[in-house]
Amino acid sequence: MAILEVSGLCKTYPGFTLDHVGFRVEPGSIMGLIGRNGAGKTTTLKSILNIVHPDAGSIRYFGLELIAREREIKQRIGYAGGAVDYYKRRKIADLLDVTASFYDSWDAAACRKYLDAFSLDTQKTPAQLSEGMRIKLNLTLALSHHAELLILDEPTSGLDPVSREELLEIFLALRDRGVAVLFSTHITADLEKCADGITYISRGKLLASESLPAFLARCAETGAGRNLDEIMVHFEKEDYRERLA
Amino acid sequence: MKDLLKKDLRLTVSPLTWFFLAAAGMTMLPGYPILVGAFFVCLGIFYTFQNAREANDTLYTVLLPVRKRDFVAAKYVLVCFFELLAFAGMALLTVLRMTLLANTAAYVQNALMNATPFYLAFVLLVFTAFNVCFLGGFFKTAYAFGRPFFAAAVLIFLLIALGEALHHFPGLAFLNTPGGERLGVQLAALAAAAGICAAGTALSCRVSMARFERIDL
Repeated sequence: MAILEVSGLCKTYPGFTLDHVGFRVEPGSIMGLIGRNGAGKTTTLKSILNIVHPDAGSIRYFGLELIAREREIKQRIGYAGGAVDYYKRRKIADLLDVTASFYDSWDAAACRKYLDAFSLDTQKTPAQLSEGMRIKLNLTLALSHHAELLILDEPTSGLDPVSREELLEIFLALRDRGVAVLFSTHITADLEKCADGITYISRGKLLASESLPAFLARCAETGAGRNLDEIMVHFEKEDYRERLA
Repeated sequence: MKDLLKKDLRLTVSPLTWFFLAAAGMTMLPGYPILVGAFFVCLGIFYTFQNAREANDTLYTVLLPVRKRDFVAAKYVLVCFFELLAFAGMALLTVLRMTLLANTAAYVQNALMNATPFYLAFVLLVFTAFNVCFLGGFFKTAYAFGRPFFAAAVLIFLLIALGEALHHFPGLAFLNTPGGERLGVQLAALAAAAGICAAGTALSCRVSMARFERIDL
């Protein structure tokens, strides 16, 4: 059974339409959601978290409908939209205490383990942390209740190369423990290092959703490119010289 | 709900909200439109909403395993908690003014509203105006609170003007007697205001829940 199954997801904003996007995330796998800026990645993630309301489509976690079983599902997933950007002036200890009270399966020992592993000082506030450390704090919050699926929106954007590498290692370690990870990014090199599958959205439409090796092989065969960077440029590049002429 | 309330008290509530509760003490001021104290209590609550928006409280909360309607209900309960604290203080001070201090010259000669059950009724109407206009307006977007607060403030100052004017109308001077005259009528007015406040707030909460379910955050 897929841990997350999305089908026919549609959402229309003035000037933008997310058009029948669908994909599956299997347990213990890393799925990359790629597309250029404004392609619809964040709208997709917000839709699957019920932050925005899709016009159509089905979203099922663990075989359960999101809208009908939202509370139960959110006990089992974790979301980190990049760095912590809430309650930035409150102590991390307070933030952890409050967050813990909402989860039945909050594991204080696991939380302590992540805090130690990420060298997070609970007496500090998020405002006192670097971008990379705030992402790690978000991961701690998301993982301390034993989330089976971690959803991240552009977690590596704005990070230095070392922090990005560390974060990817964390994803791989989580995958080894059976946690599924869905993360959006436009930094394709990150995906080539860790993703099992890829969902590619272009201008609101689903271009591909399959295993990464199969996608790369198919694109190489058709001459679309040998790596994700080349493939994205192949599909997305617009001729601005002609437009501006 | 209990966890949401604890979260708000621990993370979201602005210190200014607690500070402005002291405005309940304005009940003791002679020669001052004491209903303005109820407005200041509302202003204090407004600062908590400002704090919450700056702290991205809405997004943090909706990502927790809670129902969206519970998020809205918790905000209403939080507001009512502060209003009840303020009202309890105002009621105690009103009793003090109507009993031990009823013959104090400053209150006997007070041209403006005295602390009476009728005053407390208007305090509840001010809170109703705030709960309906501000909270109801805020949950149209869960973001924009300037216009809802302005609308609430306009309505509140109209209510204050009405409250201050009524006892000058022929036959209504009893509303302002420091010791409390025709207490039965005044208490009936207070009970009616309590009913309006409870019904208005409950209705506003229901509408806000429905609105909040529909908006895209």
